[in-house]
Amino acid sequence: MAEDGLLDQMQALRDRVTGITGAAVASRDGLIIKADVEEVSPDNLAALAAAWLGVAQRMASEAGQGVLREAVTRSSGGYVAIYAVGRTAVLLLTGDEGLDVGRLHRESRTTVNNIEALLASAGPRPGIFRPAS
Amino acid sequence: MAFFDPAGEAAPDPVLAESLTKSAAGGLTGVLQVIGDPGGAIYLSGGGVIGVRTPGAPSLEVIVLRSGRVPDDGWEAAFAAAAAGTPMTAELITRGLIGAGELEALLRAAVADALFVLASGYVDQCRAEPGPVSNLLPLDPPAEVGWLLAEAGRRMNVLAAIPGLTSYQRARVEPAPDVVTAGTVLGGGRDELLALANGRRTPRDLAFALGRGVYATTLELGRMQHEGLLVTTSHRAGPPLPAPPRASTAPAAPAPASPASASQNSAGQASASQNSASPGGDHPADDGLPRRRRGRHSEADAGADMSMLLRLLRPRSSSD
Repeated sequence: MAEDGLLDQMQALRDRVTGITGAAVASRDGLIIKADVEEVSPDNLAALAAAWLGVAQRMASEAGQGVLREAVTRSSGGYVAIYAVGRTAVLLLTGDEGLDVGRLHRESRTTVNNIEALLASAGPRPGIFRPAS
Repeated sequence: MAFFDPAGEAAPDPVLAESLTKSAAGGLTGVLQVIGDPGGAIYLSGGGVIGVRTPGAPSLEVIVLRSGRVPDDGWEAAFAAAAAGTPMTAELITRGLIGAGELEALLRAAVADALFVLASGYVDQCRAEPGPVSNLLPLDPPAEVGWLLAEAGRRMNVLAAIPGLTSYQRARVEPAPDVVTAGTVLGGGRDELLALANGRRTPRDLAFALGRGVYATTLELGRMQHEGLLVTTSHRAGPPLPAPPRASTAPAAPAPASPASASQNSAGQASASQNSASPGGDHPADDGLPRRRRGRHSEADAGADMSMLLRLLRPRSSSD
């Protein structure tokens, strides 16, 4: 099942990048596809991630800054980062204060691409994946 | 890379030890970029260490905030005031958030902890970048490199002496199945560790979560595991396979076998990736010094990228 592959990708990223505490893949309409998180609600994160990605992409466009690569919140207790996965999904990562940001930048692109390929191979799922509007 | 000499003692990574010792002897003022896992940067002034930054160990900020020693808003206020010019150390003290002696002691402990993490981790190469350094919370007086390395080695040997644990710094741990009944208090900081050990967190992760040092946390967890209170669920995978030695560099030293062979597996295989136990691991080049050229193609830029990105994203934590 493609979802096991998603978990593998998220766990591999957690292995390679120091400080990642959790990951989740959600659809653009805010539904969780696969989560690998601790002590937070995957459903809430999925809904917020989808909304945030939309706003972040609008912001990049409004600021005339091309294609959004990453949106990050940095808080007293850690980081949250989101990445567009193709046009139908979003990858969310949580990290603690010691997140290796440099390594994350080098590794996230590969993970996003792999997740996109896995989702594409899984095929469209009614009610979850819609053609990008 | 954690390194065992033929006498069977753990010692700080030789690439790091050599580079750091050279920087100290040369009275370096600047940054020693440590490229590896976790890697990081060592800030020196006149050959003494004034700060260490690594994703592998909590900074002073994390330690005092997560442990509740200093409240968030107090830290924020001190930071904002320091941005206007006064040193942050002075701001913390004059606002009564922490005493001068305690601040220095905590800062020195954080530096020693971070250096221990670097020295017991995987080091691909070090790169000295001379130049002025400005740290938010510089250690004053600076810490002596010889002492830091000796202390790191001492700590590695203490951990190595706990029987039955290999690669423990990369272990993900959780409470053993039948361990704690409700109402039992273990004391000594163990209750908090048991509460947060969730099978995903390594000792480093738990140290961050509690605002404690990585060495102290690893030691306590190791003892708890030895006593049957904790079990390991998996290990964080080790560094990637080393690339073949580059033709252009010094007499080709074959990459040590150990981190490669085990790094792709978790659990029981992970021991070699941390302990680098093969006696023939590092082959000396002609000048007799160990060389390790595990060139991962992006690593040459890794240090610069990392420090630049960290300065952009976390300007406050350029030190500690």
